[in-house]
Amino acid sequence: MSIQDDKAKEVSADGAAGPIILFFILGLAASLVFGWVIFPKLLYSQKKQPIDFNHVLHVEAVDEGCESCHFFREDGSFSGIPELAQCVDCHEEAQGEDPNEVKFVEEYVANGREVPWLVYARQPDCVFFSHVAHVKEAEMDCGTCHGHIGESEHSRVYEENRITGYSRDIWGKNISGLKKHTWERMKMDDCAECHATKEIKTDVETLPWPINWLPLPYKKQTGNQASVTTVKEACFVCHK
Amino acid sequence: MKEEGKHKKAKKYGMVINLDECTGCGACMVACMAENNVPFREDESNKLDSIAWMRVYKLTNGKSYPEADICYLPRPCMHCEGDHGHSPCVSVCPATATDYNYETGIVSQIYTRCFGCRYCMAACPYHARYFNWWDPVWPEGSTKYLSPNVSPRMRGVVEKCSFCFHRYQLAMDKAYLEGRTVLEEDEYQTSCTQACPAGAITFGDLNNPEHKVHQLAKPDNKHGGRPGNPNVFRLLERLGTNPKVYYMSSREWVRQAGDNYIDNEDFAKNYRH
Amino acid sequence: MEIGRRSFLSFIIGGAAGTAISPLPWKLIDDSSIWSQNWPWTPVPPDGEYSQSNSVCTLCPGGCGITVRKVDDRAVKIEGMKGHPVNDGGICVMGLSGLQLLYGPTRVKTPLKRAGKRGEGKWEKISWDEAISDVTKKLAEIRSKGESHAVGSIVNSDSGTVPNLFKRFLTAYGSPNFMTMPSMQDSYNMTMLLMQGVSAQVGFDAENADFILSFGSGIIDGWGSPVRMFKANSAWKVNGKKVVQIESRLSNTAAKSDKWIPIKPGTEAALALGIANVIIMESLYNRENIESQSGFDAFKELVLNEYSTDNVSSITGINSATIVSLAKNFAQASKPLAICGKGQGSTPGSLNEFMAVHALNALVGNINKEGGVWAVSESDYIKWPELEMDSIAESGMQKERIDGAGSEYPHAKSLLNRLAEVINSGDGSLGALFVSDANPLYSMPDSKALNTAFDSIPFVVSFSSYMDETASNSDLILPNHVYLERYEDVPTPGGLQKNVIGLTKPVVTPQFNTKNVGDSIILIAKALGGSIADAFPWDSYDACLKETLGDKWDVLEENGFWSDSDSKVATGEFNFYPDAMKSLSSFSSVSIEGSTISYPLVLIPYDSIRLANGYIGDPPFVIKTVEDTVLKGKTACVEINPKTGKELGLTEGRYAFIHTPRGKAKVKVHLYEGIMPGIVALPRGLGHTAYDKYLAGKGCNFNELIGPAEDPISGLDAAWGIRARLTKI
Repeated sequence: MSIQDDKAKEVSADGAAGPIILFFILGLAASLVFGWVIFPKLLYSQKKQPIDFNHVLHVEAVDEGCESCHFFREDGSFSGIPELAQCVDCHEEAQGEDPNEVKFVEEYVANGREVPWLVYARQPDCVFFSHVAHVKEAEMDCGTCHGHIGESEHSRVYEENRITGYSRDIWGKNISGLKKHTWERMKMDDCAECHATKEIKTDVETLPWPINWLPLPYKKQTGNQASVTTVKEACFVCHK
Repeated sequence: MKEEGKHKKAKKYGMVINLDECTGCGACMVACMAENNVPFREDESNKLDSIAWMRVYKLTNGKSYPEADICYLPRPCMHCEGDHGHSPCVSVCPATATDYNYETGIVSQIYTRCFGCRYCMAACPYHARYFNWWDPVWPEGSTKYLSPNVSPRMRGVVEKCSFCFHRYQLAMDKAYLEGRTVLEEDEYQTSCTQACPAGAITFGDLNNPEHKVHQLAKPDNKHGGRPGNPNVFRLLERLGTNPKVYYMSSREWVRQAGDNYIDNEDFAKNYRH
Repeated sequence: MEIGRRSFLSFIIGGAAGTAISPLPWKLIDDSSIWSQNWPWTPVPPDGEYSQSNSVCTLCPGGCGITVRKVDDRAVKIEGMKGHPVNDGGICVMGLSGLQLLYGPTRVKTPLKRAGKRGEGKWEKISWDEAISDVTKKLAEIRSKGESHAVGSIVNSDSGTVPNLFKRFLTAYGSPNFMTMPSMQDSYNMTMLLMQGVSAQVGFDAENADFILSFGSGIIDGWGSPVRMFKANSAWKVNGKKVVQIESRLSNTAAKSDKWIPIKPGTEAALALGIANVIIMESLYNRENIESQSGFDAFKELVLNEYSTDNVSSITGINSATIVSLAKNFAQASKPLAICGKGQGSTPGSLNEFMAVHALNALVGNINKEGGVWAVSESDYIKWPELEMDSIAESGMQKERIDGAGSEYPHAKSLLNRLAEVINSGDGSLGALFVSDANPLYSMPDSKALNTAFDSIPFVVSFSSYMDETASNSDLILPNHVYLERYEDVPTPGGLQKNVIGLTKPVVTPQFNTKNVGDSIILIAKALGGSIADAFPWDSYDACLKETLGDKWDVLEENGFWSDSDSKVATGEFNFYPDAMKSLSSFSSVSIEGSTISYPLVLIPYDSIRLANGYIGDPPFVIKTVEDTVLKGKTACVEINPKTGKELGLTEGRYAFIHTPRGKAKVKVHLYEGIMPGIVALPRGLGHTAYDKYLAGKGCNFNELIGPAEDPISGLDAAWGIRARLTKI
């Protein structure tokens, strides 16, 4: 290497180290701001529910809590968001003067039109979820997955992912994907988390031959470490 | 968790198809297509790419007129258990898109997970798997009859018979609501079984001696579920895939057609191991 | 400060580092994978409340009960109805595919008026008012000219309220030309009339029979009420009952039978009489009961003189020993049952054959017995007030029918097979024709000749729900609701030994601007006014139906079916040897068209349950199940014996032309060991030109290759095949 080259290097190092670091920080900062702040805003569109729904008011008025409106049918299927016919039982005519109530009766009840509710918890078509298995068989609370929605006085803004078309509730409000409570995310890993820790699977030892002695991935599954995405056992339980 | 839920016995759902009664009418095929949102195209006469989870094959005895004889053989997915818990397809899938469920003995197929390498199709000795070479297209208005219980598949994934697993799930939902965790035999039946006008298909839990499938097939669990009934056979028994679909026929040439034999091999001696 | 290359790179690296620790790339990967797994063009069927609704399938006359599974207001699956007296949970390929017809692309969605030339496919959408008034104007015009008898109708059968509304309408209007689609039921009805002296429907107590001798009846290929026969067949297997199948091709029925006896086609009557010969010779019948019956001596003489075992053996090609043992097994069985009507029984066939087989049943004494043949009095629930005819109607009704039924052929009720020839030869003409629940331009033999005949009918009205061949060659379409959208009674299916009436129900609301054909008729009648309107006192078809069914309505509405507790037997004196049988004194099979020199082979049709060959064609699911040795690409396959193939130099999969005196078609050769050498078999049900792209243009229509052959006694179509030639391409 020649002396001149060394000199040139020194010069440039002396003269440009600051800007280089500065630009690095600028780039870093810009991308962080973009990734953490601007990107989520771009990714989700904001939609309003057709009617601002007050859960508190309704929960007070009914006897059986959530199941008064979100009930199980005789065949074990879950009714989900009530259909107009159910609402009409009480709301054939406007009760009170709330503009939402009036809108509901005039636009929907009078015309026999279903309300196009935006479903926060809607899952892709490949997901099979049995409410009855969780609520009746496993005796879980609605709130474990749905949070305190029953205590809301207004409908939240529905944030729709522009790429997938699903609600932001699936990924969770926190764009980092971290959550504090079980109901803050509804992705596959969140289901798996619970399924892995609660040992919900059939007790292996009681199974007949040959399952109880074969070196199965199944056994791993009963340990708490395995992920449902890599261990082959029961994809069909949650997928269709 | 309730107590009884924790200790339910593993089931092994399987099928016995009586080939003496099967008339080859094809109702099982159509019942399956209608139940499982199977797509169709303008020309379905290339049977290699014509998706039919259940396919009825026509066997011939190879003899000349008038000694010729034919027999029909419906072929769903065999839901192989394999000798070491290895179904041929499950063990090769690089995407964990297909798996063997020890609770029911059903081999699943998760379409959204499949990336279409078709390794499972190569591995399956029964041609029970089909690849979606095209996006499914329903004629205008015809999507109205699609069932919400089964996801329509997209182009580029493999699909196959699921033993109508969604029916199991729906039956379990009803059972849970009624506080039960065990299903009666008739609560979970596949679409083909239910439709068969000849009553040739029997479906149930092979582990349950009360169930008709168990009584018909008399499976020997110490030997991979090998049939104990001399008129019952499985396809390619000697491969050791341990299929859960059993066939029953009073005709020897039909039973013999269930496996490959080298010339002069003693069928009577060898046809079951 | 100058932004140099290094600064820029530094910015980029900083940006990359920042991006990597921001959620952006990870979230995008996740979202795009979700997006790619759920393409927006892959339909997502909406979930909802599940329900079930019981009804009846009308896609064939089988009358099976169905249970339709629904999600909210969408029908998503049709299943067999458990506990139904006909099918008890079973169902066939067609029944399962009904929703493809309901929601399918071939529906006629609104009344249509022809805009271009006939058959060109150009239509103008019109309102129902316009459609009804168009028909009314035309009918009024014909009537005012005193040509009311020149109006005809073609419907599927003559029982049930809708066909009877058509009949009533024509009577009030003044035309005797109520025509029905032919089937083996016509021949059975006539056999009942001639041999038992009763007007009754034939019933078979198949489930209780223990030896079934089938003269080519496709027991498990769609004969009779198909699902019921499938069930009976399984019951025979379980209980060790015997089935013997007599036909020249190893059909599914033959393959499943205990014994398949190949026979020269067209000689079945001779075999039946040959069996009778053995039974009489060996005294294997109840002499006391049988010999006293009228006509027995003459029958005995005929059989002994003309149908000795050797003679029959040379006619039928079946060796004598087989005939003798067959006759012994049949006569010695405790509940033997002989049936006929080839394939699915969609053509009437030779009356001689029906009478010979029926005589065989009588000889073993199984008429109106458990496990035997029953003469079932049709349920007479249609009791409408007598209609008053005005003078035009009266004079119109006195005219002879265009098809010669009741005049030339006194016993026949309808001879649609003669219509094409009568019109084409100028012996008769029609001024207007109604077609409902039938597709004669596809399913009548020599369909091309019938098409020509239709060309000379100035006004053809179709009531079809689908754009079938007949609808697309009509002038006006008044589309009917599909069976899943309407109420209609379904009369007792053919072959049942007791009356079972079904009721179709509107399982879903009508999907398009269609109208129940019953309502269309009532509206037209009311618009015509006078005594025609008076004959239809009902406000609507549903009102008419409800009134007609009376106290059966509630049961029907709830269960979907109503059944008689016992068989209602029509009794008359049995006659072994009605005059009509005299023609059997020297056997000649119904001669088939073509010379043996130019047409060395014999073409016969075969039926498959996977190929619908009546009014409705295969929906996409069903055509999908058709094997590639039956249909490959757009070409139908013919079956020939490998020996025949060798003689003709035709190998498996070769393309060839099949020529008959009536037509020519391109086919593919399938070598089949299950067919008699010298015979070519072609499936029925292919070669549609209408319906959707899944069906149209595939294979060739057997009916274009064959012509009708008039039975000398009944006038019905007795053709069982035609001579043919295969040439290499």
